[in-house]
Amino acid sequence: MYLIRPSLLRVWLIILIGAGLPATGVTQAHQRLVFGSFGQPTNAQRWAANVGVELDVDIQVQERREADDLLFRVVTSPLHDDELRLVRRRAREAGFQVWRLTDSASEEPDSIGYATVPPTAYERTLSAPRDLMREFDVDLGFQTRSYPRDGLDGQSRFQPSISAMFRYRRYFNDDRDSFTIRPFGRLDEADSERTHADMRELYVSHVGDDWDLSVGFQQVFWGVTEFHHLVDVINQTDQVENIDGEDKLGQPMINLSLIRDWGILDFYVLTGFRERTFPGEDGRLRRQLPVDDSLVTYESGDEEWHIDGSVRWSHHLGPVEFGIYHFSGTNREPELRPWQLTSGDWVLQPHYALMDQTALDAQAIVGDYLFKLEALTRSSQGQRYAAATGGFERTLVGAFGTRADLGIILEYMYDDRGDDATTVFEHDLGLGTRWRWNDVADSHALFGVIWDVQTHEYVLKLEGGRRLGNDWQLFVEGRVFGGGYQPPTEPVEAVLESMLDTQNKLGALQRDDFLQLELTRFF
Amino acid sequence: MVQWRWFWVVLLAGGAFAVTPEDQGREIFAELDRRNSGYQDYQVNLRMVLRNAAGDFSERLLRIRQLEVPSDGDKLLLVFDTPKAIRGTALLSYGHKTEPDDQWLYLPAIKRVKKIASKNKSGPFLGSEFAFEDLANPELEKYDYRYVRDEEYEGRDCFVVERFPRDRYSGYTRQVVWVDQIEYRVEKIEYYDRKLSLLKTLTVGGYEAYTRAGYWKPARMSMLNHQTGKSTELHWGDYRFGTGLMEDRDFTTNSLKRVR
Repeated sequence: MYLIRPSLLRVWLIILIGAGLPATGVTQAHQRLVFGSFGQPTNAQRWAANVGVELDVDIQVQERREADDLLFRVVTSPLHDDELRLVRRRAREAGFQVWRLTDSASEEPDSIGYATVPPTAYERTLSAPRDLMREFDVDLGFQTRSYPRDGLDGQSRFQPSISAMFRYRRYFNDDRDSFTIRPFGRLDEADSERTHADMRELYVSHVGDDWDLSVGFQQVFWGVTEFHHLVDVINQTDQVENIDGEDKLGQPMINLSLIRDWGILDFYVLTGFRERTFPGEDGRLRRQLPVDDSLVTYESGDEEWHIDGSVRWSHHLGPVEFGIYHFSGTNREPELRPWQLTSGDWVLQPHYALMDQTALDAQAIVGDYLFKLEALTRSSQGQRYAAATGGFERTLVGAFGTRADLGIILEYMYDDRGDDATTVFEHDLGLGTRWRWNDVADSHALFGVIWDVQTHEYVLKLEGGRRLGNDWQLFVEGRVFGGGYQPPTEPVEAVLESMLDTQNKLGALQRDDFLQLELTRFF
Repeated sequence: MVQWRWFWVVLLAGGAFAVTPEDQGREIFAELDRRNSGYQDYQVNLRMVLRNAAGDFSERLLRIRQLEVPSDGDKLLLVFDTPKAIRGTALLSYGHKTEPDDQWLYLPAIKRVKKIASKNKSGPFLGSEFAFEDLANPELEKYDYRYVRDEEYEGRDCFVVERFPRDRYSGYTRQVVWVDQIEYRVEKIEYYDRKLSLLKTLTVGGYEAYTRAGYWKPARMSMLNHQTGKSTELHWGDYRFGTGLMEDRDFTTNSLKRVR
């Protein structure tokens, strides 16, 4: 045992600032042992103290300058051959790695250890810049939507808007607790309903060893498929933002996650309901009649204060990953009923029923195929139905001999209500290609088509983006609606009847093809 | 007769103890693996500098957390801090000794965790010259080995060992690795693509020893793509070992969403 009792400690810690190795000339004690090199002086000093205490030898921290960089090397004082052998043996027995250093690089290379720490090999270690740990971000978005044609009710062809998102997160208690706030807002020139603000997130969170608890407005996404987000249910869709159902309103909730060997078990208590947003009278991408939020009705007597709940189990087994949940509460998708105002105008009245829903989402990777499935059974207003969507995405890495990846997506959407389904994805096929160029600007694009195999309605979809420098991003999105016919705008009886035509659910969108450009600046 | 018996004994014994280049190569990497095991966990910051043949460059900052899983491959979590457009994007990888690794990508803009197909790991990572498989911990079982020769490289005696990926989705047919003979550090790797031609060369430098067990970690890696002239440098800094990361708390798909 070579550890020395504390009473025998003899530690001299000498920090030589700004000095290289002292010139030793031809002396007996011309070698040192190196116990490691560090980018941070504090690490080197800590290590030097550690080594000195354990081995009872003089340890120094040498500062070594390489170009503009500094290296802190933990070394012994110069040693004679005999001392060197002794210290080295003790060091090895105590479990330290140690290397021999000769004072002059011109000396014979050491046959046992390294002659020198190679000077060119060292680069200043990167300390986290203060900016990196910054806790807030701001995104500013400048968006234009251009429609080649006027809307059904003469809405304008050009729709510019600006948006802002602010994000702040603060950690406490060794990162175990955190506070997050993320408000979002948009000013739209054409549609007053699209001028809106929302608290996307505002919550506190605690992370335990095998559980998380968070309380507040949060965003939760469930699902795996590309074209139709069937089982995603926790957050309400922010429909004025985009019709793809990927923009969501903040949902107030209490969420407890238990992390176990057999998967993750999540409990959600949803403490308030958010109404879906709809474009206004002057907005595009809406049905034949505008929705009037003020007429909203609920099946539950508690209205928007009905407490919804959900339990979800998610796990992965080999190549398969899945989640199963049950949800009980207010249906996020309203029934839209025609309603005549006292002014004589017709509008749509949203009605939110209660529902019970059990659903599954799963994906499996087999080679370069990713298989996806979402399925649900929903019971609402005395009726039960089932729906599913699934398919695969195959990724071709280095497609056509380039560095780009090409993904081929094929999905089918099914709803056992058939034509009577309240969605447009009742018997549809989705086909898409996803491109990722793997370049510095992270350029990517998705071209897709959703085609109703029975009614032959279709939607062409384009999404693409790339960064411009470090702080800007350009995003392009486009849709073409086809295969349907343009519904009448009068008389009102014909309008109401056209809304019941299950063979022409996309009719109202036939004039709403658009191209959207969005430039985002990140601060 | 007696002489003949001895002849056979010697011949058989010699055959039994003969070290094939395959054994030798594997033993070198087994030793490298042994020396890198027992670290428990570490965290490190990473600066990635992408350069094209014209000399233009762009930079990104990442953080990596890695957890040792002795019974299986290591777990790795990678978080992007810049460019700001992808800030908070995180990649989680469960390495496996023989099975393909599991990988998930978290996209904060849409709050979505996406599983990545295993074949994707051979593609360029973040637009860089590194593929994900170049960055993941190379589990011993994922390659076949063959010792080639001893060679001095940058003044140090190295073993030169070829290794052949067993994963059919690897982007490489062969890698030639220079391993320091004393410290078992990887100094250089040449990557040969599916067409058997030299695709990339990785050089590693600035090794520093950390912790009492002396884990050698590089400060700098440089990957040069010979076919495009592009290169990517990785600058590693602020290694912290034994930071108390936990499997259930820090390396689940849940932790992806709230990663700092």
